[in-house]
Amino acid sequence: MSSESSSQSLDRPTEELTLSVNGETISTTVEPRLKLSDFLRRECGQRGVRVGCEHGVCGACTVLVDGKSTKSCLTYAVQVDGAEVTTVEGLATDGELHPIQEAYHQEHALQCGFCTSGFVMATKELLDRNPDPDKGEVKEGLADNICRCTGYQNIYKAVDRAADELMEAPSDDLSDRTGGGE
Amino acid sequence: MSGAESPTEPGTETDTHVERESFVGSGLERVEDHRILTGEAEYIHDIEPENTVHMALVRSVHPHAHVEDVDTSAAEDHPDCLLALTVDTLKEEYEPMPCGLKGFEEWSLADDKVRFVGEPVVAVVAKDRYAAEDIVDLVDIEYDQLDPVVDPLDAREDETLVHEHFGSNVADSETLDFGDVEGAFEEADNVIEREYSWGRISGVPLETAGVVATYDPDHDAFDIDCNIQLHTLVDDTIYEPLGYPPEKVNLEVPPDVGGSFGTKIAIHRYCTLAAMASQQLDGRPVKFVEDRIENLQGGDMHSSDRDYRVRLAYDDDGTIRGLDTWFVDDFGAFPHYPVNQALKPLSVVTNAYDIENVRYDYEIALTNKTAQTAYRGFGVPPHLHALEMVVDEAARELGVEATDLRRLNLIQPDDMPFRLPTHNIYDSGDFPAALDRIEEIVEEREVCEGGLLDPDVVEQKREEGKYRGYSPTVHIEPGVSGSDWTDRQRTDKDALEARDREDVSELPEHFRIELMEDGTVQSYLATDTSGQGHQTLVTQLLADGLGVLPSDIEVGYLDSVTAPTEYGTAASRMAVMLSGATEGAAQKLRENCRKLAAQREFGCDVDDVVYRDGGVERADGSERLTLAELAELDSGQKNERLTRVSYDYEHPTTSLPEFDEALTRKFPVYPTAAFAANAPIVEVDTDTGEVDILKFYSLRDCGTRLNPTIVDGQAHGGLAQGLGAALMEEFEYDDEGQPQAITMFEYLLPSTKNMPDVELEHSETPSPFTATGAKGTGEGGMIDGPAAIASSINAALADQGIVADQIPMTPHRVRKRLRDGE
Repeated sequence: MSSESSSQSLDRPTEELTLSVNGETISTTVEPRLKLSDFLRRECGQRGVRVGCEHGVCGACTVLVDGKSTKSCLTYAVQVDGAEVTTVEGLATDGELHPIQEAYHQEHALQCGFCTSGFVMATKELLDRNPDPDKGEVKEGLADNICRCTGYQNIYKAVDRAADELMEAPSDDLSDRTGGGE
Repeated sequence: MSGAESPTEPGTETDTHVERESFVGSGLERVEDHRILTGEAEYIHDIEPENTVHMALVRSVHPHAHVEDVDTSAAEDHPDCLLALTVDTLKEEYEPMPCGLKGFEEWSLADDKVRFVGEPVVAVVAKDRYAAEDIVDLVDIEYDQLDPVVDPLDAREDETLVHEHFGSNVADSETLDFGDVEGAFEEADNVIEREYSWGRISGVPLETAGVVATYDPDHDAFDIDCNIQLHTLVDDTIYEPLGYPPEKVNLEVPPDVGGSFGTKIAIHRYCTLAAMASQQLDGRPVKFVEDRIENLQGGDMHSSDRDYRVRLAYDDDGTIRGLDTWFVDDFGAFPHYPVNQALKPLSVVTNAYDIENVRYDYEIALTNKTAQTAYRGFGVPPHLHALEMVVDEAARELGVEATDLRRLNLIQPDDMPFRLPTHNIYDSGDFPAALDRIEEIVEEREVCEGGLLDPDVVEQKREEGKYRGYSPTVHIEPGVSGSDWTDRQRTDKDALEARDREDVSELPEHFRIELMEDGTVQSYLATDTSGQGHQTLVTQLLADGLGVLPSDIEVGYLDSVTAPTEYGTAASRMAVMLSGATEGAAQKLRENCRKLAAQREFGCDVDDVVYRDGGVERADGSERLTLAELAELDSGQKNERLTRVSYDYEHPTTSLPEFDEALTRKFPVYPTAAFAANAPIVEVDTDTGEVDILKFYSLRDCGTRLNPTIVDGQAHGGLAQGLGAALMEEFEYDDEGQPQAITMFEYLLPSTKNMPDVELEHSETPSPFTATGAKGTGEGGMIDGPAAIASSINAALADQGIVADQIPMTPHRVRKRLRDGE
């Protein structure tokens, strides 16, 4: 956490905020203009949230808000008051990668990795919603995220592999924490 | 060649690798992945020491103006403002930034004039970035606007000058003749002349540029973390402006960099400003991370922007006799450091064709636009596009298939290694076989019932206004730059002519290994990385070279002060150079371990000790020492330790006389020629002008594939960037010099919706010049993708006589050509 957060400036307005981040309840005071992406990175230490464009195109900052993929750079922290937020840090359990993370690793679906958190979270929402997507549905489901390194081929493979893995083990222990699918 | 000796040594080393599965050549999973996937990776935006303050920049809104007055008083009155830095302070206490050409030194903040929209004029520092941006709005700058110089062709004659003192908007120009160009064009049966253009395109990595700089008043030195590319080579662009010697300015690049593709070579402006600000604030860490709009409009990161006129001389039987290319490259406001990308195409000037007579004529134009930097391919993609377009048009003029004309002129495998008229040498390859194979793949899989090019389907689609086509092409990817030909641009041309082969300095790759007492192996790269998997590659090579498991190997990085000045990550270089360096270091360590055991433990002759399976043994098997024991044995050494080695792998051209002429003449030398035969199948919607790539077939050869998974990943990523370049991406400017692509809503990057299925096939023609047989392949798809796509568009629209003469071929441009042809 930053030693001097924006919310501490004397002449700036603040608002109360309570939310859950990866299962942990946080109550704090923030500036109304503080972006959710900055809030998660700086105030909550969830640095897996990546900021790539800050205008909602690249999707690197994608997190789940009540299970729905959300661009945290286009969202103010105060807008998610009362919500459950999941970031990429909320996926692995006890050092074991989530099947989606493992699939990205196995299929070489990341290179520089800056977009990867966002892709993993978008994949999570996609597979929660549609456990067995066809290629067109995968492309549609990930169309809000930009990757500049992989050319997407291996990302498609990773989503397929993750879908297979998750269907074989349907009791995804994370669905409760993230607000689950639909 | 030195440094590339065989690792096999009679009687001792032969058994090192037996009974083990080789990690090299396998698709070892990346060691980088876990930290990235769990959010534990450390990119520059994750670095924030205690008490860090944040910088924001006041940037010019005008393309060309005199700065009449800068008033920072309101900004400084803001309660959160810690510093407002102007060029006056810079000129009192610091130096200008070096530039690619002498005479264009540039201050880190605009001095007297602004020359492009987005040029930084004032730097402010506050407790956090939100406050810093508030303060930016309080700086008042009075401008006297000047006419902008916008069109690069007109700029050459324009009375308005971007740099008055230089007296011209042409920063550099040169005409180079190879062979008998005049003769070829006079004697050939036919000469065709055409014009092509290539738009401003760049890498646009997902992570923008960033820096955290800390001045240490006690030692009068700087620590700078930044995501610059080539930090050990281009550190002069940072310590020189600070006015400090290199050992006082310690650059470190985080282990994770969110992409660069060449573009981050030129982010030194930010590094210098943050360092200066930290010094002005008595050593508080100052952080700056570019936002995306800053990155796109004023981040010094655009790349080649060229207008070509190309002439081709060819006979009635299709033999190409001469090539004459002239181009103007719009470098923007300053001819920045990588000016030599104008010359790199000389290394592949005739592509895969055997053409003896070549003229290469270029002008570097200055305009009121963002300056250029390097981008994947470094000036080669526009050249290949222009060349392939004129070959397609020559085929049309002759009334033959473009593929047949290509095949007729390809360099033959028997001619390898092949010397180009420009003196670079292609190491190995069979280009005709590659062209035949890619054609065969498409014929078999797609030109058949049920395929994308099923003749009935093609006809039916055509009736709907959707025109399908493909045209196979072969392209060379020059790899592994290293000689100091880049100095050409900074050296007086007459002095250059007087230089001998001995004056040419080479740029080896440096690598270090140390055995730890717990039996693990610590190694260090002397360069930075941005997603290419260097740690994995080194791990594979060391595991094989030392007979240990990948999990026993740690790979770290050296900072700019500790590392020797060397080249590093650029020019599709690292797999080749790092593999050579890693193998060399492993061999040295194995020999040292044998020596250590023989002298200090076994008391026998070195020749009686073998290195085997991660340890050393007496040849008769009676005694053995593990790596941990060797490290312990060596730990008491006061002098240089035997279990700590460094190795410099020499560039593959160093000892080969074949390259002497090119090196002496200072032409670009790229000793590996990876290549690809591509066949993208395109469909052009003649109603909308939209070009859809239905499938991308690509046959690729990069010599020995050290990690096939990473090789495929590089190809996929390169082809995606090639597709973006060909069809979507461009930094356009309006007639007044205002940038038109300042968000990702205007600079369009390929998404899942644009990227077709890519079908890769590989051949392996090992390089005879490199230690491992590997060829550089990091830039491939971006080098060959755009020209390949453009040729397929030409094939699809052949009936209309339309040629993809302008990159990118956006829907608007395709529609315009269709309309004009109607």
